[in-house]
Amino acid sequence: MIEFFQVLVSGIMLGGIYSLISIGLTLIFGIMRILNFAHGEYLMIAMYLSFWLFKLLNIDPYVSIIIVVPALFLLGIISQKLVIKPIINAPPTMQIFATVGLSLVFQNLALFLWKADYRTVKTSYQTATIHLGPMLVSFPRMVAFLIAIIVSLGFFYFLKNTYTGKALRSIAQNREAAMLMGIDVSKMYMIAFALGTACVGVAGALLMPVYYVFPTVGTYFGVTAFVVVVLGGMGNMTGAFLGGLLIGVIESISGVYIDPSLKEAVYFIIFILVLLFKPSGLFGLRGAEEVGLK
Amino acid sequence: MKKILVYLVVFALISTFAVGCSSGGGGGAEKESKPEVVKIGVLFPFSGSMAALGEENFRGAEIARLVRNKQGGLWGKQIEFVKADAPDATAAVAEADRLINKEGMKVIIGSYSSSLSYAASEVAERNGVIYWEVGGISDPITSRGYKYLFRTVPTGSSFGIQAVKFAKAIAPDIGVKPEEMKIAIVHEDSMYGTTVGENAKAEAERQGLDLVEMVAYSAKTNDLSSVILKLKAANPDVLIATSYITDTILFWRQARELNFYVKAAIGTGAGYAMRDFAEAVGDDVNRIFNVDFPQLDTNPEFAKGIDEFKKLYEETFGEPPKSGHSLVAYAGALILWDVMEKAGSMDPEAIRKAALEVDIPDGETAVGFGCKFAGPDAENAGQNIKAYPLVAQWKNQKLVTVWPEEAAAGEIELPMKPWE
Repeated sequence: MIEFFQVLVSGIMLGGIYSLISIGLTLIFGIMRILNFAHGEYLMIAMYLSFWLFKLLNIDPYVSIIIVVPALFLLGIISQKLVIKPIINAPPTMQIFATVGLSLVFQNLALFLWKADYRTVKTSYQTATIHLGPMLVSFPRMVAFLIAIIVSLGFFYFLKNTYTGKALRSIAQNREAAMLMGIDVSKMYMIAFALGTACVGVAGALLMPVYYVFPTVGTYFGVTAFVVVVLGGMGNMTGAFLGGLLIGVIESISGVYIDPSLKEAVYFIIFILVLLFKPSGLFGLRGAEEVGLK
Repeated sequence: MKKILVYLVVFALISTFAVGCSSGGGGGAEKESKPEVVKIGVLFPFSGSMAALGEENFRGAEIARLVRNKQGGLWGKQIEFVKADAPDATAAVAEADRLINKEGMKVIIGSYSSSLSYAASEVAERNGVIYWEVGGISDPITSRGYKYLFRTVPTGSSFGIQAVKFAKAIAPDIGVKPEEMKIAIVHEDSMYGTTVGENAKAEAERQGLDLVEMVAYSAKTNDLSSVILKLKAANPDVLIATSYITDTILFWRQARELNFYVKAAIGTGAGYAMRDFAEAVGDDVNRIFNVDFPQLDTNPEFAKGIDEFKKLYEETFGEPPKSGHSLVAYAGALILWDVMEKAGSMDPEAIRKAALEVDIPDGETAVGFGCKFAGPDAENAGQNIKAYPLVAQWKNQKLVTVWPEEAAAGEIELPMKPWE
């Protein structure tokens, strides 16, 4: 029984990281209706940024959040202006090509600039563990999990209670009507995209003490993020958060009780079942895949 | 703003074309004015997740090329490499095809990863082109009866077997009787990990050791807690592990987090051999063993020419070698030059014949072990039957060769220290 709870806890901690990455992706999709295939690469860039800040300026990865997040926000604005804006009204296939292209550019740029080495940071706390009764929880994973919760709550508050948040939601619900109400749609898009990338900025800095960065690290998390987003209901923030935790737990449990080499297969099967029987996602309202952010 | 962008794109396109044309044209002109170049294809993963070790493997071949060119090259001609980047098996097939049918290569050196080698060598065999493997260790590569395929490095099965033999040898050091020793095997589930894992399992059964757990997982995973919890439940004395670099780092970080302890841990190459591993986990790396290609500290009495190699590597790349992968590729490529010199031409048939006549005794190469290829009728056709892996141990974050004795540069230290 203790073993089961240990597995559960490990899964939830892993899921926290998935959630954090997926929230940014679902935000961008919900508001802009753009499938951002370069999402994982923004994570990679955030991780590299955090790594270099540690390596060159000796800034702790957690402290680096205050630099990485604005930097990723800025990068989001630039990418939105240069790549996303021209294709915002293009057919979805074209948008997919553009973001996949963007991801390849980022990957190879990273390979060119920083080589294929696996970069890690060494901090005093990275393998520290917290004892929760008989269970062991990794300290940096716990931090990542807690911050994932804080960031999600922050986002909910922001979307519900601020003017910008309400404007963003109105665009998600009806782009034309929002425009008629005098909302600057293109500015809101910029904010949405930048917020999405800023979100992986947080995730990147939090991942650095636990994980390692290399040019294609984004694909490892990118695919999972897409599964989470679809599972939680596309554009649904609560769904992304809970979906992330769910995938983490599924991965952990199937790894121990079925077979570690089959754990991806297990959650992809669940993913396919969801697509077949509830295409709006586990937490999405019927038709949410069409309408977006609720 | 938009205008500038358009100009930029146009400029980029034009410059790409210009570069493409000039290099194409240049190649042609070179052929006419300087016919004294020997061109050899090199196929490695230069990009993608295997790029780090692929590049390291390639660097060994590159140094062998420079050394040979300094000595006058092949048949008085300088050797030149035509590079092909193969991040995955599909690309390996396409690139091997390009090297052979477009670039006209008669000899290809590859390819670090077994999966790439397996796919690319098939193309080479079909076209009657020599495939000289200096990195990939998986057994099936040389179990297909290929005529034009040669492999200078030991096979994956010998890694697994060597790991188990070594485990048995250190039983007294960790205070258990060999027949009571509990062994667990963990491996990533691509061709490489599976070959090593299965052979370790078979050898453990032959030796009568107690195999308590065997776990496979995908190296692409980003969480190994489930693997570790499984192993922790089995509570082995010795762990035999096969993994690439990402999963090796992840495994040991999470092993510490979840307080998984074994008395001896024996890795079998790849991730366990890399400096990146030591940098990532720090002192936790100490006392972990690694069954692998000969390492850079192998006793120079046993591995002749190893010191020259290290010097050349530093001079060429401005940093010390990252792992033994470059060393084995270096030694392997040097053998190829000798074979080609003897063959007297680029004719694959002649090269093949010369390769089969090679018989280098142990202690004559930079890797220590000698070279003799199994004939085309043997079940491991093209395999260097004199190749075997050595065992090294991480000490002060450096790999020190410890077993077998004639190659050793240091003493075995056991057992592992428990996590504080």
